[in-house]
Amino acid sequence: MASLGDLERSVMTLLWDSGQKLSANDVRDELDESLAVTTVLTVLSRLEKKGMVTRDRGSRPHRYAASALREDHTVEMLNEVLGNAGDREAVLARFIGSVSEEEAATLRRILSE
Amino acid sequence: METLAFLLAALAVVLAIPVPKWLHTARFRVRSPWVAMVLWQAIALAGGLAIIGAPIVYGLSPFGNSLPSAFVTLAEAVRYEDYAGLEERDVHPSHIFALCLGALLAAHLLLTLARTFYRVRSARRRHREMVNLLSTPLTDDGTQALPDRLTDTHVIEHEAPLAYCLPGRTNAGALTVLSRGLLDQLSPEELGAVIAHEKTHLRQRHHFLTLAFEAWYRALPWLPTTRYGREAVLELTEMLADDGALGEHSRTDLLRSIATTTPGGEDPEQQLSTGQGGIITGARLQRLIAPPEPLGPVARAAVLGLSAALLAVPTGLLLFS
Repeated sequence: MASLGDLERSVMTLLWDSGQKLSANDVRDELDESLAVTTVLTVLSRLEKKGMVTRDRGSRPHRYAASALREDHTVEMLNEVLGNAGDREAVLARFIGSVSEEEAATLRRILSE
Repeated sequence: METLAFLLAALAVVLAIPVPKWLHTARFRVRSPWVAMVLWQAIALAGGLAIIGAPIVYGLSPFGNSLPSAFVTLAEAVRYEDYAGLEERDVHPSHIFALCLGALLAAHLLLTLARTFYRVRSARRRHREMVNLLSTPLTDDGTQALPDRLTDTHVIEHEAPLAYCLPGRTNAGALTVLSRGLLDQLSPEELGAVIAHEKTHLRQRHHFLTLAFEAWYRALPWLPTTRYGREAVLELTEMLADDGALGEHSRTDLLRSIATTTPGGEDPEQQLSTGQGGIITGARLQRLIAPPEPLGPVARAAVLGLSAALLAVPTGLLLFS
């Protein structure tokens, strides 16, 4: 059986790709018919707690949508890595950080020789 | 005891100001980064010990001739409320003040260390959750001769060429994250060098080596040398990771991958702004382009001996003098 983390990823991918509001039943039908709807609901409420998903309580059953575009989350996350957000130390230095323009130019020249 | 207190204070000052100033640009760090790393760790520990030890030893000096016996005497005086005895012992308010100062400093440093540890850990946990949602595990699709050990390498969909690693609670929980842009722009050999670089960070547990420096910087941000220490140790971890990658990959592959991931080339998107610029990668790049001779055995033994002495001498003086 897939782990909760894998399920969360599948659900988010589905919501991002569809771009629509989906009910837990819809999600189940799209992902895997053998999943219990309660499992899907658990996953959706975990994602809601993480701020990844918004719930439309105006409809019955409740319908869920991704809170932001996948690209926006990606940019936000990578900016964290690049040190523009507060917790730079969270990640160990990214592969290359800050080489000055001249150093970069020197490097390219050496490699092209 | 008073002499010892002044010696410790002098050691604290030397370790806090001139030594980091010299060491963060010392030439030998480029030749043998791990030797410099050992010295930095010894400085962080000995400096912390000296800065806390100096006021406490001074404050306890009227109570006995060695730290343990003075401590017992003071504890007993407090326990039996024998405050008349304080006068006989020539206790001055400055001793009380020094004791309080030492206790406050110790609490401040240790609490900052603990807080840094937990903050970093929860920031990593949050980041890991995002990575899990936004990335897919890298699998060898047969088109590229990717190195093995790929189970914990994830790909994130973004055009900017990026690679970084995220330490876990255990090495099995650690992640290496690569961007789609990196996979597209690097050859399999270059990619192998990048992955080996990141895995060296994780394998050598560089996140522990940087922790104390991050904490001292947060605890004493007004002391310019705590910033030197933090930057120097980050730089050393990069050099060590390069050396690790060079164990299995060629220098050219590593340099090429650096050239590709360097901003200023064909940067696909300015959506991501780069962080602080500066000294960190200059020396690292230089030593890859023109590899220096590693330190000779005598110099190496001297630095390692100095590191051991830095730790052993203050500890020994505190406990046995």
